[in-house]
Amino acid sequence: MGFSELWSTYGENYISALITTWGMTAVCFVFVMVLAVLVTVLRVSPFKPLRWVGDFYVQVFRNIPGVSLLIIVVYALPYLNLTLDYLPSVIVTVVLVASAFGSENFMSGINTIGVGQIEAARSLGMSFGQILRRIVIPQALRSAVLPMTNLLIAVMLTTALGSQVPLDTPELTGVVSYINTRSAGGILAFAVSALGYALTALAIGFAGSRLDRKVRVLR
Amino acid sequence: MSVNARSAQFSMRDALYEEPGPRTRRRIQIGTAIAAVVVAALLVVVVHQFWATGQLDPQYWLFFTQGTTWTFLFSGFLGTLSVSLTAAVIAIFLGFLLMLGRISGIRPLAAVCRIVTDFFRGVPSLLLIYFFFLVVPQYGIKLPAFWMITAPVALAASGVLAEVLRAGVNAVPRGQTEAALSIGMRPFRARMLIVVPQAIRFVIPSLISQLVVVVKDTTLAYVVSYPDLLQNARVLITNYDALVSTYFVAAIIYILLNYAINQLAVLASKKTGSGRVDRMTQNST
Amino acid sequence: MTTQDTTAPVIELRHVEKSFGDIHVLKDINLAVKTGEVVVVIGPSGSGKSTLCRTINRLESIDSGEILISGKPLPEEGAELAAVRAELGMVFQSFNLFAHMSILRNVTIGPTEVLGMSRADAEREAMELLERVGVADQAEKVPAQLSGGQQQRVAIARSLAMHPKAMLFDEPTSALDPEMINEVLDVMVRLAGQGMTMIVVTHEMSFARRVADRVVFMADGQILEEGAPEEFFENPKTERAREFLDSIRGH
Repeated sequence: MGFSELWSTYGENYISALITTWGMTAVCFVFVMVLAVLVTVLRVSPFKPLRWVGDFYVQVFRNIPGVSLLIIVVYALPYLNLTLDYLPSVIVTVVLVASAFGSENFMSGINTIGVGQIEAARSLGMSFGQILRRIVIPQALRSAVLPMTNLLIAVMLTTALGSQVPLDTPELTGVVSYINTRSAGGILAFAVSALGYALTALAIGFAGSRLDRKVRVLR
Repeated sequence: MSVNARSAQFSMRDALYEEPGPRTRRRIQIGTAIAAVVVAALLVVVVHQFWATGQLDPQYWLFFTQGTTWTFLFSGFLGTLSVSLTAAVIAIFLGFLLMLGRISGIRPLAAVCRIVTDFFRGVPSLLLIYFFFLVVPQYGIKLPAFWMITAPVALAASGVLAEVLRAGVNAVPRGQTEAALSIGMRPFRARMLIVVPQAIRFVIPSLISQLVVVVKDTTLAYVVSYPDLLQNARVLITNYDALVSTYFVAAIIYILLNYAINQLAVLASKKTGSGRVDRMTQNST
Repeated sequence: MTTQDTTAPVIELRHVEKSFGDIHVLKDINLAVKTGEVVVVIGPSGSGKSTLCRTINRLESIDSGEILISGKPLPEEGAELAAVRAELGMVFQSFNLFAHMSILRNVTIGPTEVLGMSRADAEREAMELLERVGVADQAEKVPAQLSGGQQQRVAIARSLAMHPKAMLFDEPTSALDPEMINEVLDVMVRLAGQGMTMIVVTHEMSFARRVADRVVFMADGQILEEGAPEEFFENPKTERAREFLDSIRGH
């Protein structure tokens, strides 16, 4: 099958697949950031039980394989009276896994600040809230730009899990198996999707390092 | 002096708080108590949900007391390990070649290696698996299931490893190269004999933690019907009709395995005194 | 700054004790610093002099004893503690400038956040202070772009912007390259000349001789000796002080 034939038959499938992948990535990433912030707040709180929960969350979800979690969400949770549709299942899976890494990024952002700056702020008479707002959070956010860029790319790659469940519109990985079950798409059918991912990753990486250069904290 | 020694043991999350006064100490105690109650309540809700839906019934768990269950799971675990380790070895080898290509100083070679690296880092492993599972056979090549899972997992990891290794090379101080050149070594020899060995030592912890990524990717083995841990868990489910318990047990095994690998990486980074590049900071699924 | 109780020492420590685990770092410390006085604390490393300095604005808590600021007990927490800290300047060994802020912002953040000063007023004053310490031309840069000596002078300006009634210096020149030590000491000498109340933990004996009203010698968590600089340096009373002075003169 040549490219023109492939494209005239399946062009629209690829485009809607690309849009699905982008859309899932964007939605997931928003939730990832929200959840990562929440988990990080638990982990830096002064209350031990909350710290344990936060640390436990991170250890579980950074170590569980995505498929293993997806299977639990899709097939096991309904037995526990918790049934999600396929698309939300994929999103929940991606968000749970990626937010664990997001929290790790925030934590290492906090770790780069150093005790000295906190003590300096304290000795100026700044309150705990002021120290968080003016010193800790701005620096943690700035040094998290590059890791979070990589996390965004990882989120996109993880949305490929969507190919393992029937979605209304398949995403970029699912579309390859969709096409191959109908006709022998050959290497081209694969290459179109692969390029969709790789070029998006490249663009995200480029934008991320531009932003990082702008806001990076020199040390 | 004693101050520095003390703050070194403290993590930043402790450093955010100063030593509490009596009022603050009370507030923390109250907050801790409330938090403990909330966490315990959540735990109760979860366990109750298992119990209420009958998922704690003995029929779903008793077969885990049988030796045969574990023998079967263990054979799957061995499948997981053999795919993981084979893929890891190949990935390190390929990643090393890609890294060498990029620092070779030969422009076209560096460009090709860069494109290959970026490609494998920017494409999901699942897509690569579909390539070996759906596309390759169309060209008349029939691979055994083992290689249909091992090859894509290795390729996906090689891109990330190439970047990890390159970060290691960049972390070796310039003075090392300069010293090597000053005693008359050619640039290539200086790289291979002086820089690369130090770089490898430096990235050993990151290489170990990348193994977690490989282990996770092997769970996609069911796509090509290779009998790994997760695939064997599925077989158990059809035998015992115990879906929830089996999938949870399988997930826990993976979590423990990966946790152990991560701890190994932490240990190695303490030993070599080097930093650790984490999985998602070097993106890849 | 304060008019209340001018007779009381600005800073007073009474029977202060402090341990880190098994290590007894401060043993029965008694010290009073009057308005305008410059007290230099010296002693071998590990003697507890840094910890002493850090207890005064409660960066370290104490186990027992009393710390009085202008005659009032140092609060243990909350807004009361923050208010006292705002009146005590602190300069650290490692500068501790806020890495993500410009030099100018480093100096204005205290006045705007803590004193509620307007940004414009704070900047005007900050520029004057930066002028005084000789780094006004660096105002728009970030800390990492400055030399250690410059950063430490900015840190002093940051403290001065709060109009402190006393300043604590915790080994302010120990992290500096030798050629930068004097530029920082010069600023401190000038401050002392202008009547600032100062507690300075340092290894710079020449500074102690030149500006100290009183030298305090610490070893093993205790104040072993205190007195006028000439007297202390020429005629140390304790064996430990003599050994210490010999060891630093020795080479």
